[in-house]
Amino acid sequence: MGLDINTKKAKKNAFRISKERGIGASRIRVPGGYLKAEILGMVQEIAEKYGNGIVHLTTRQGFEIEGIRLEDMDAINQMLQPIIELLDINQPEKGAGYSSSGTRNITACIGNNVCPFANYNTTAFAKRVEKEIFPNDLHFKVAFTGCPNDCGKVRLHDFGIIGMTMPRYDPGRCVSCQACVKGCKGLSVDALRMENDKIIRDEEKCVGCGVCITKCPTRAFTRSRQKYYRLTLMGRTGKKNPRLGEDFLIWADEDSIVKIILNTYRFVKEYMNPGAPGGKEHIGYIIDRVGFEEYKKWALEGVELLPETKVKECVYWSGIHFDR
Amino acid sequence: MGYQLPRKTADTLFCRLREHYEIFAPKLFAGDGCFSDTDVIRYDKVSSLDEIEFDRRSDYSFKEALFAVNETLFYFTENETTIPSCTDKKLLIFLKSCDLHALKRLDAIYLENGPEDFYYKRLREKACFVLMDCGETCDTGFCAGMGTNRSDNYDLYLKCGEETVWIDCPSEELLSDLKEAGLNEAGETACAVTPNYVTQNKETVTLPKKLSVESFDNPLWEAYGSRCIGCGRCNFVCPTCTCFTMQDIHYRDNENVGERRRVWASCQVDGYTDIAGGGSFRQKQSDRLRFKVMHKIYDFEKRFGYPMCVGCGRCDAVCPEYISYANLVNQLAEEDAK
Amino acid sequence: MMKNEYIPFPSQVKKIIRHTDIEYTFRMEFTGEVKPGQFFEVSIPRYGEAPISVSGIGPDTIDLTIRKVGKVTNQIFENFEGNHLLIRGPYGNGFDIENYKNKELFIIAGGTGLSPVKGIVDYFSSHPGEAADTTLIAGFKSPDDILFKQDFEQWEKNIRVIKTVDSAPDGYQGQTGMVTKYIPDLPVKNPDNAVFIIVGPPAMMKFTVIEVQKRGIPEQNIWISYERKMCCGLGKCGHCKMDSTYICLDGPVFNYKEGKNLID
Repeated sequence: MGLDINTKKAKKNAFRISKERGIGASRIRVPGGYLKAEILGMVQEIAEKYGNGIVHLTTRQGFEIEGIRLEDMDAINQMLQPIIELLDINQPEKGAGYSSSGTRNITACIGNNVCPFANYNTTAFAKRVEKEIFPNDLHFKVAFTGCPNDCGKVRLHDFGIIGMTMPRYDPGRCVSCQACVKGCKGLSVDALRMENDKIIRDEEKCVGCGVCITKCPTRAFTRSRQKYYRLTLMGRTGKKNPRLGEDFLIWADEDSIVKIILNTYRFVKEYMNPGAPGGKEHIGYIIDRVGFEEYKKWALEGVELLPETKVKECVYWSGIHFDR
Repeated sequence: MGYQLPRKTADTLFCRLREHYEIFAPKLFAGDGCFSDTDVIRYDKVSSLDEIEFDRRSDYSFKEALFAVNETLFYFTENETTIPSCTDKKLLIFLKSCDLHALKRLDAIYLENGPEDFYYKRLREKACFVLMDCGETCDTGFCAGMGTNRSDNYDLYLKCGEETVWIDCPSEELLSDLKEAGLNEAGETACAVTPNYVTQNKETVTLPKKLSVESFDNPLWEAYGSRCIGCGRCNFVCPTCTCFTMQDIHYRDNENVGERRRVWASCQVDGYTDIAGGGSFRQKQSDRLRFKVMHKIYDFEKRFGYPMCVGCGRCDAVCPEYISYANLVNQLAEEDAK
Repeated sequence: MMKNEYIPFPSQVKKIIRHTDIEYTFRMEFTGEVKPGQFFEVSIPRYGEAPISVSGIGPDTIDLTIRKVGKVTNQIFENFEGNHLLIRGPYGNGFDIENYKNKELFIIAGGTGLSPVKGIVDYFSSHPGEAADTTLIAGFKSPDDILFKQDFEQWEKNIRVIKTVDSAPDGYQGQTGMVTKYIPDLPVKNPDNAVFIIVGPPAMMKFTVIEVQKRGIPEQNIWISYERKMCCGLGKCGHCKMDSTYICLDGPVFNYKEGKNLID
């Protein structure tokens, strides 16, 4: 008797069907790539019991346990349960593994848990969004990065969230050492200059990276209480038109970003082409088809932006067109 | 001899004291640290005991209460200069023993080295010092070996508990101000109050005894200097660094009006020795590091009779390049013991 | 009220002597005790202060020779108003004439290093009998950089003067070469009774001292003056400190025996 597997269901259940007949892989998402070390032991146990002892670290901060037999999927789902619970992943049915794989794992750079340059806790924000949008079949990619260095390569995602801080400057603590000016010029965008022995920040140029703050030896430059983000939209890889995400909001707040992501799911449900292959159409192509104006209307519905948030009137993407 | 009083009474007392005093104390500035979601403890005016950080050593020292980061010396208009007025209140400065020892070093430069400094003196004369003790040693301080762990020249010693405050006030002037603010000698419990002090630190530093001009050739300067980025943090946090640079500025909306001020300077930062016409001295970071360390443990002592460094350990705690001044000094001492 | 040493006082500019395009002497009104080698902090409000050595002393004037090389000195040249400059001082120890009387005196100056010693040259040029012998070696970069041209005419009448330039266009009639070139041939009669004053840029001073010592001159017979960044002149700002010495308080003039130990 041949193997009788519903491969659509298996894929949705986060199993890969490999090129070797009967053999697949179990995919474990780790939101924000941040996990307790004990999970590693659990992953090892599954890999050694049901797999071929090999684990691949995926490009989206997950584990892929290789060489599992497809008939072991249920048993593996049982063993995945403590991992899913430790990672606090929304799950409609216990013991049944992951319930969707359309919306991809939310990735994040290490963020301000560790990195001196990061402007916020990327893990915490990633987990907040994770709780809001999972599980979901729609094809969305969301990524978080702590600062404009963009180590998280978030501009290759549908939603890229880049941490910013609004530098606060107290001239009374400034000693004119120009560490900030040199730092900004060497490591960032050269937005600072000294005039009358005090610092002037070019607000148009400043990307809110916070280098001036980390360089300041006297705490003349400090971080804004409010944490700010740059939201970039609809970057992607792929066969047709790979491109970098473009800025939509600058100096935006956390709540607005969460709302815009949720609004985008509603937009996709409304406009997705039901005849798309596999019933899935990538959001970037939907926006290309429907137009940015319409998307923007949906995205900003009910969103109360901060007064200082800059909204791009229109967004144009470039990239490479293999489809023309 | 001192008093024990309920915390609430003490709070009211200090609140009333503000009528005659500006109170400067270490305060936690949440989120104002160098990195995201980190804090900094530095001096500021406070209005209640609650605002004061009693436990941890401040990242920046008390010196800014007497010697502001930026201090206007005078304003000038076309024909005249005006000296900024000084507060008419007295100052009450909360500090730990290491910093109270540092005060003597500030006095040495500002009051004894050459003519008295007008601006320092006018604040210094108004200042009273409140000793806070260290429950336990900080991580990088080495006060015990430097003899700066104890102080008895405080105007007021204050220990703050959850419910109770203990004070000892040798200063008669301050005591009478406290009484005026409501300290009721009859009502408070009189008891023996003596400051606690740290007797042992995690860090032990031995000062070298045989330093001289020949020490300038020690390869240690280059070893450490090559790691130094010249940011000046060690100077800015140091309670005994007193250097400043003069700055003249004109106001943007009126070119003819401006001010002359002095601003904290660092011997580690570019420009410190620049002279008009382009000359400069100690261009290498290793020479600057040597200059600073020798000042702290050698040449200040030659001039004033005691070492400049008080062993507060702030420079080691703040260095972004993990240069340990304490370890460097110990290595110098080991070498001269050979 | 305590004296506020930071406040400058206005001093009238009595005369301006232009030496070169970028070097002027400002003859300023000043009464009070002052010695050659001392310095004043000269300021133009809004631009800053610069330490300037006293290059000449009159009955109720001082000369300040200023080289236009920075923000402040540029302004002093261009923007002093109402014939006044703001000054404070004098600061520093200065040269003590008594140290040089009855000695074979040799003054070696490089560039603007002539300013702080000019008072000494003036004194022994006008009182030639008070020193056993007086020689001035003054070095400049080029003929265009020569300072105090009129004073040289006077000095050349009374004392031995070697005025040399590092480089000169073809056909230049005067002496050329570094000041060190002239040291081996100086007519030193008794090294123990010869005193040298050496002032100039750091490298010039270093090599000049070496040459002078080759002539058998004891350390204690050599005097030098240091130019360092002096922001306050009051022993407070720290910039001019070398070892335990504050140049603004303890110097800028040092006997070489002491000065040789001062390393930046």
